[in-house]
Amino acid sequence: MEFAAFLLRRLAWSLLVLVGLSIVIFTIARVMPGDPARMALGPRASAEQVEALQTELGLNKPFVEQYLGYVSGLVRGDLGQSLLTRRSVSDDMRASFPATLELVLITILFAFAVGVPLGVIAANWKDRWPDNAVRGVAIFSAVMPSFFIALLLQVLAGYVLQILPTTGRLPRGTDFIASPTGMLLVDSLVQGRPDVFLEALRHLLLPALALSLATMGQVARITRASMIDVSRQDYIEAARAFGIPERLRLFKYQLRPAFVPPLTIAGLEFASLIGNAFVVELIFSFDGMAAYGVRAIQQKDLNAIMGVVMVSGVFFVLVNLVIDLAVGLVDPRVRIRGART
Amino acid sequence: MSDLDLSEQAALSNAWQNWYRFSRNPTAVIGAIIVVVAVLLAVFAPYIVPYPADAGAVVDFQHRHLPPSWEHWFGTDNTGRDNFSRAIYGLRVSLALAGVVLVIAVPVGTVLGILAGYFGGWTEIVIMRLTDIALAIPPLVVALAVAAVLEPTLLNSMLALASLWWTWHARLVYSVTRQVRAQEYIEAAETLGASKLHILFREILPNVISPVAVKTSLDAGFVILIGAALSYLGLGVRPPTPDLGTMVANGANFLPDFWWESMLPATVILVLALGFNLLGDGLRDLFDVEDVR
Amino acid sequence: MLKRLLLTSSAALMLPFAAAAQNVVTMNTVQIFGTIDPAKISDYTDYMAAVNLYDGLVTVDSEGNLVPQLAESWVVADDASSVTFTLRADAHFSDGSPVEAKDVVYSFERLLRINQGPANLFDGVVESGNVLANDDGTVTFNLSRPFAPFMATVPALMIVNSDVVAEHAGDDDAQAWLGENVAGAGAYLLQSWDRGAQMTITRDAGYYGGFGDGPIDEVRWVITNDEATVRAMAASGELTMTSQYQSPETYKALVDMGRFRIESRPTSTAFYLKLNTQAEPTDDVHIRRAIAYATDYDTIRDVILPGEQMTTVLPQGFAAFWNPDVEAPRYDLAAAADEIAQSSWAGQPIPITLSYVAGTAFEEEISLLMQANLESLGFVVTQDPEPWNRITEIASSVEQTPNVNQIFYGPTYPSPDSMFFPQFDSAASGTWISMDWLQDPEVDAMIAAARATGDVDEQAVIYKDLQALLADRMVSIPLMAQTQQHAMDNCLTGFVAVPPMMSFEFDFSRYAWTC
Repeated sequence: MEFAAFLLRRLAWSLLVLVGLSIVIFTIARVMPGDPARMALGPRASAEQVEALQTELGLNKPFVEQYLGYVSGLVRGDLGQSLLTRRSVSDDMRASFPATLELVLITILFAFAVGVPLGVIAANWKDRWPDNAVRGVAIFSAVMPSFFIALLLQVLAGYVLQILPTTGRLPRGTDFIASPTGMLLVDSLVQGRPDVFLEALRHLLLPALALSLATMGQVARITRASMIDVSRQDYIEAARAFGIPERLRLFKYQLRPAFVPPLTIAGLEFASLIGNAFVVELIFSFDGMAAYGVRAIQQKDLNAIMGVVMVSGVFFVLVNLVIDLAVGLVDPRVRIRGART
Repeated sequence: MSDLDLSEQAALSNAWQNWYRFSRNPTAVIGAIIVVVAVLLAVFAPYIVPYPADAGAVVDFQHRHLPPSWEHWFGTDNTGRDNFSRAIYGLRVSLALAGVVLVIAVPVGTVLGILAGYFGGWTEIVIMRLTDIALAIPPLVVALAVAAVLEPTLLNSMLALASLWWTWHARLVYSVTRQVRAQEYIEAAETLGASKLHILFREILPNVISPVAVKTSLDAGFVILIGAALSYLGLGVRPPTPDLGTMVANGANFLPDFWWESMLPATVILVLALGFNLLGDGLRDLFDVEDVR
Repeated sequence: MLKRLLLTSSAALMLPFAAAAQNVVTMNTVQIFGTIDPAKISDYTDYMAAVNLYDGLVTVDSEGNLVPQLAESWVVADDASSVTFTLRADAHFSDGSPVEAKDVVYSFERLLRINQGPANLFDGVVESGNVLANDDGTVTFNLSRPFAPFMATVPALMIVNSDVVAEHAGDDDAQAWLGENVAGAGAYLLQSWDRGAQMTITRDAGYYGGFGDGPIDEVRWVITNDEATVRAMAASGELTMTSQYQSPETYKALVDMGRFRIESRPTSTAFYLKLNTQAEPTDDVHIRRAIAYATDYDTIRDVILPGEQMTTVLPQGFAAFWNPDVEAPRYDLAAAADEIAQSSWAGQPIPITLSYVAGTAFEEEISLLMQANLESLGFVVTQDPEPWNRITEIASSVEQTPNVNQIFYGPTYPSPDSMFFPQFDSAASGTWISMDWLQDPEVDAMIAAARATGDVDEQAVIYKDLQALLADRMVSIPLMAQTQQHAMDNCLTGFVAVPPMMSFEFDFSRYAWTC
């Protein structure tokens, strides 16, 4: 019962956040200088043609009416037409989002696989040199511009060592259609193509590495803090007193509860990950939603820009909803404290 | 009178103590030095840099793509301009961006955070839900969208970032205020009939200052990084104004042969962001505020 | 036989993808394919796809001559009022159905209905209803008025399969359907198209026109304007041919790899600084002349972007019409200062906006070069980089058009008319091609006179006078005739410039793989 109420409250807030987001985006988009109709029709269109398209697109209607039209489209999954690709933005999203999702998931996996052990090491040797080293890595990863690390990796691994591919998601001309999920790692296994799986993985390595650095530092930092926090708890002291083996104590009684804060931070990290993905996808010519977004922005493709921001927002809200519910299920205190977004 | 003198003395010795503790923290000192040097370089750029004219539209195609040397520490770019001079000028844009964003975002966030934390009720709901919405948008994405939709000028990028950044400060100040509010002396002041304004700004605000200072310093680094990413994507200042992110983007066209054109300006951004981060970290240790990120 | 795969040290780690024994050309393009609908194609990538996927009645060879394609012959009526084409009996669409006269009529009528892309070529020349199928094998175009360049415009009319298109017409004349699908008789078939990233076409073995030795079996266009990506693709053995818009550094890097050679050809594509003649301060002819004197032509051509000198607004490729007596614009800052002294801006700061396509390195370099020179003369310069589709939009309003614009423009049909009318006739203002906003009755009259006469000598006289007039008014500053340059795999041959036709040099049925 209690959890159901929490769930409902949490869902309601998420919905409210999305409505707010759509208002913000729509307002931004409508102050854009330039006429979407003129841009869509190109230079040789007559004034009458422009006016006809304006009417068709509803650009002459009052603001609120336009907004409601936009929202009702959103609900039906209609994000309008892209000027750049001349396709519906929803189709473009369906094609490009799985790539970004795949990249972000692998990135998070990297960040935890490396960040958590680093945090454990730092906590276990608190204030000694391993701790200082991890702290150094964490600070460094936080201030490293995403394009710097991406360019550096591209030059080192791509040009100097020539061990990994630096562009794209698969070798061009690979005979493979990504379905049903659009995520190559999954689809290649589903279709029984280990060769494609390996190639996709090789193409993912550099962008995921570049993208994961900042999150990795955060995860290490928070794991460390949270491990130290837990180590001060009575039951850990008791475990020490009872002579429970060091390794068992560290991993079973200390790491497990200490794992919750890094997990919740992962939710927030998604926002900065999507942001940085714009730069990283562009540098590695990785055909995901972020690369699509960059092109849309450079070409002032209004509907596509709105679509990308909206999809990023929805994705972010959903991820945090799921993480909150998961944490709430484990930790009753969260349910009472309420939504964290 | 003597009372005041005493408290002044106490304040002075307190400051002295703080400074002592601060100066014993090597990372904080390094951070402070980086920040101070960067600000000085930016302010006095015209008198310091070897080729001040290269900050403008200078073309010297005979000397394009020169590698780093004594004449050109960072080499030259594709129109033959001195990259070192341009990088120092570029600090101005980065620092101005961070400065303007935080000058807008910090006071707005602080005031709204205090109001939400102190009054609760509808004030809290409205303000905190607004921050929720703003936090649901990846900041770089929104800054990109705004810069794309409006003219891609520095001012627009700043406004876009500031319009989101206040929310982080509002959240921080909100949670500190909630803690302070529950303290007895606030209740005492309320019972004694102190004005709301007095309580908000004389009783609560001082408690908020140190975490906000820490966060502001850390944020300066992040704003600089986001600004650099924006200009890397082509939404920075207009040429020929020197700008670090734009220099990296231009230079990246000539990788790996002319690596210095992108890698060295990128290093400058890295060092600048590192300076603010170390400084923030040092301040955090100094004020002993743990959970500020 | 394996030409393109696994050439680098990364080969050991690469998995052996099925390497079909085929001749594959991989080429990068710097912009997306906007559309493949032959009634809507307008820019260089559009035409590049269309010439491979569709055939016209006639096409153009490297000398600029019209040669048969779907039509085996044609007859021009004695009074030049009509042209009758005889179709090849064996010509068929890629689905096997024969190409008939009704397909030509349908393609033409559809082009006029949609009124985009090449439709303007026939504007006022051939009206709707005046293309008639005499029988299945012959079709007649009745001209509304004598129009000397008519035959030259015919290659731009690509023929669609009327039965198939009519079936998918829907309520938009099959614009949606032909935007994604092909119904033509071209030598290649569309295999895959991801709008943001790539397009792949494959050879139609049953093509009625046939192929020579070593035909190209597959063409993959990869869309990227990122020099680093192009170099990486070349290094990995993937790239066969670059676009014509790479930086000098990239061409050099590719040649150093040993596998590539540089092919350059002069073109008739002109690169101009277009001056807005209706906005201050470039409405003043002395200011326009000053800008022309402040332009460092040699540096632009020798260092920034390779090109041939252009002395008038007409490329020298139009030899018979080009005026050799017009003095080439020259770089002379003292003369520029003299012109400013004669202008209404003498002694004051002169505000001016320089515009170029954002993200294009050489245009930014040119713009900086202009700024450096103009500032030394007392101009106050604002740089205005804009994305290309924003430029096409601001070009539609005289107030928004910047003072100085860097514009490439080449003929879309082999007649000087295609250089003069769209750029300088007042009826054509309001597009990116006519950012000079010239409103000059004298110029309009000359263009109309040249269009009306069928006598080439008479036309030459008019066009030569027109070049002298435009040079005196200094409306568009001719920077160079672009040199088209590709880095190309040593095994790939067949690249020949097709002078006045956009992208016809990318008809890959004319190419061959020689290794």
